[in-house]
Amino acid sequence: MHDELKHIVGEAGILPEAQIADYAFDGYVPKTVVLPASVQEVQDVLRFASKKTLSVIPAGTGTKLGIGNLPQKVDIVLALTRLNRVVEYEPADLTVTVEAGIRLAALQTELAEHRQFLPLDPPYSDRCTIGGIVSANASGPLRLRHGTARNQVLGLRVVHANGTVVKSGGKVVKNVAGYDLNKLYIGAFGTLGIVTEVTLKLSPIPGREAILTAGFENVQDAVKAGLNVVGSQTLPMFVNFLSNFETGGTTDGKRPTLIVGFGGDPKTVSWQLERCEKTMEQNGAIGVTIIEGEPRRHLHVAVREFAASAENVIAKLNLKRTDIAEFAARVVAEGSDRGVQVMALLGSGVLYLAVPVTPDTDFQVFAQHLTELRQSAMQTRGNLIVENAPPELKQQMDVWGPLGDAAGLMKQVKVRFDPSGLLNPGRFVSSC
Amino acid sequence: MRQKEQLIAELSARLGTKNVLTDATALSVYECDAAPSFKAMPDVVVFADTAQQVSDIVKLANKYDAPFIARGGGTGLSGGILSVQGGIIIALNRMDRILEIDLENERAVVEPGVVNLLLTQAVQNRGYHYAPDPSSQKACTIGGNIAENSGGPHTLKYGVTSDHVLGLEVVLPDGEIIELGGTVEETPGYDLRGVMIGSEGTFGIVTKAIVRLTRNPQAYQTALAIFETMDDASNAVSTIIGEGIIPAALEMMDSLVIRALEEAFAFGFPLDAEAILIVELDGIEAGMQNQTDQILEVFKQHNARQVDYAKDETERQQLWKARKSAFGSFGRLAPNYITQDGVVPRTTLPKVLRRISEISEKYQIPIANVFHAGDGNIHPIVLFNERDADQCERVEHVNMEILTVCAEVGGTITGEHGIGVEKMDYMPLIFSPADLQVMATVKHIFNPTGLCNPGKIFPTAESYEKLGLQPSEFLYS
Repeated sequence: MHDELKHIVGEAGILPEAQIADYAFDGYVPKTVVLPASVQEVQDVLRFASKKTLSVIPAGTGTKLGIGNLPQKVDIVLALTRLNRVVEYEPADLTVTVEAGIRLAALQTELAEHRQFLPLDPPYSDRCTIGGIVSANASGPLRLRHGTARNQVLGLRVVHANGTVVKSGGKVVKNVAGYDLNKLYIGAFGTLGIVTEVTLKLSPIPGREAILTAGFENVQDAVKAGLNVVGSQTLPMFVNFLSNFETGGTTDGKRPTLIVGFGGDPKTVSWQLERCEKTMEQNGAIGVTIIEGEPRRHLHVAVREFAASAENVIAKLNLKRTDIAEFAARVVAEGSDRGVQVMALLGSGVLYLAVPVTPDTDFQVFAQHLTELRQSAMQTRGNLIVENAPPELKQQMDVWGPLGDAAGLMKQVKVRFDPSGLLNPGRFVSSC
Repeated sequence: MRQKEQLIAELSARLGTKNVLTDATALSVYECDAAPSFKAMPDVVVFADTAQQVSDIVKLANKYDAPFIARGGGTGLSGGILSVQGGIIIALNRMDRILEIDLENERAVVEPGVVNLLLTQAVQNRGYHYAPDPSSQKACTIGGNIAENSGGPHTLKYGVTSDHVLGLEVVLPDGEIIELGGTVEETPGYDLRGVMIGSEGTFGIVTKAIVRLTRNPQAYQTALAIFETMDDASNAVSTIIGEGIIPAALEMMDSLVIRALEEAFAFGFPLDAEAILIVELDGIEAGMQNQTDQILEVFKQHNARQVDYAKDETERQQLWKARKSAFGSFGRLAPNYITQDGVVPRTTLPKVLRRISEISEKYQIPIANVFHAGDGNIHPIVLFNERDADQCERVEHVNMEILTVCAEVGGTITGEHGIGVEKMDYMPLIFSPADLQVMATVKHIFNPTGLCNPGKIFPTAESYEKLGLQPSEFLYS
């Protein structure tokens, strides 16, 4: 296998043995990691894998390999890090087309020269790639104002398991020609095809950015104050609730805390900060601080990277925002003495838990707790997804949870797109 | 389709005869949408009141091999609800209930027949609205908006229908009722909600939608700028976007449209203007003046003759009324018209508009322009008389050349109206046979019998011939 792959991607296209461990996940070490340098090479690798029925796990820098159920088979990891160019960037169009392996941070640097940015801030923003963000539909605090990849991707180029290259969408900001298949690939974790090129909408960098932080006596007060801001006439970039999470000196890690981000015209930001400060005071905030400049950037990074912790189990609850207070209070009460950290993206209805794993952790009990929490979430039409966990926990539970009555259609999509089940087998939602 | 009489008898037994139309005069109302150049007569029209009834109708359609098509307000512009192979039109206008309004979560649950503007009116006193605002919003329905993934002037800042729909209840083409997406922002698995939206009624029938409501902005600033040339106006548009200003809306109208509007409604626009831009900023009042000043500066740079601001909400509403009335005034310009809907990169607008005016000149077919300039979504209105065969032939060429220009500059052939029957011939301009094959695969998963809204979207062998291309080896639908 090794020689044949080397024939396709060349010496430079095979990751040296010593570095393969960087792409190990769930206790599996891939047999080989290939680094194709062109779409043609991606096609050839997939055709080769098809012929030999080898599994292919698509990746960028590997930051999201921990997400998913236990793999059925790990043969080839196909990492797109050498496909990392900006293909087309016309700043005045506020759109950009990039190869999927470009790092978000590298792209942001280039865009910043034109006072533009891609408003996506998922965990691992310093090294994750655009292809990975799209394939995982990864998002961060900014989704409150800007949405996720589903709202920002205009077009994709994708290589299917049989080696065919197809495109979906286009390069302009509005497009309803044909079916919106972008949506199918976004968040599919590479199970339907490998994304090699992405066209995205961009945004202007705000003239001023500021974060307001406020501490509270209890979870309910903090969440209530945060939801008041979300529902007010201010337009925050994000409204995050934190409990038991150290942000590097700028907030009191022990207290329930709100972190509210604003951006825009300097006067607009000033007005919003004032309004927000009043709302905080009216809701019993203990200390309100406004943070700008470099400390603001650090705080945004700390919040953004909440879920980027390989040593913790990360669970993500998607809820109605009005259900967050109850769930947050419950997990804080049950988990604080066990070191459970909590973050909520209040406007988006997302509640993250980071639960430390110790040598004494009983994974059966742990899985039971998470399953109960999932059932409670489902009773209020929410769900719970385990985003990071050791294999011992994954053996006990499905990280994605039930799919509802669309499961049959989803399975058919997978079977028709990847009939031999080569792409990321076993990892995505059941049988997909 | 087999045993039409028996099918009609069964439909009548299920729904009551008053909910089943078979009389030719009654049916003729349903032979087209708002693009009347395309016509096809259904065999029967039925009115459904519940998802269960829709499911029953669909099951009967399957039993008799009858094509079936859902219809809302009939305001579509691409012939998407045409019964090109006859069959059943399922009218959803009676499913027009707003089932739930939950302002704390900024959600509403609605039936597909709810008229777009009525949803906004139901919540506006409490400070909210439904963001997608197609020009037909007084008559078009949420179900139709979902089928077409509709936009509108405020798409520029707020996004299209897909950005505002979280969950759907759908009757699949075999009659099964399922839910896609949900109440919360993310659900595990493939985003079939996203795929259903914009599928032009070929993947099933939406019977319920969970949509986002958007808080009304604190303040608006709406201005109208008059330009001496189309070039100046379109250069102003790309400068505004290029400077990183994203207005809530940025709309353009040319002299033909201004004249038609004046004749029909006398809004008071200057008849000697070559182009008008309507720009709207919205958001927080503090600091808005800075952006207004910036835009004013851009307008001056590009030789705007006059810039007027709406002084109050009445004047603002008047401006938008004028913009949204444009389509109602084209009858003054010619007996018939076709509205094109291409999208081009915003920096290419000046060039593309010049090309369109050359095409108009070349074929001696007048073309009016009224469109979402900020998005690069052009609406050339091709004016003609369908009784003049020679004109009709020239119009064919005009359409093809306009869409070819859009494709050539890296754009697309439709930004919000959909492909329907109108633009299926042009799909090969932007999609390869392999791209189309993937779409056909997905269609087959949802709609394996093809009975759900047949004869739309996919090009045929004749389409390839018309474009002078080798016919594709694939059979799409």
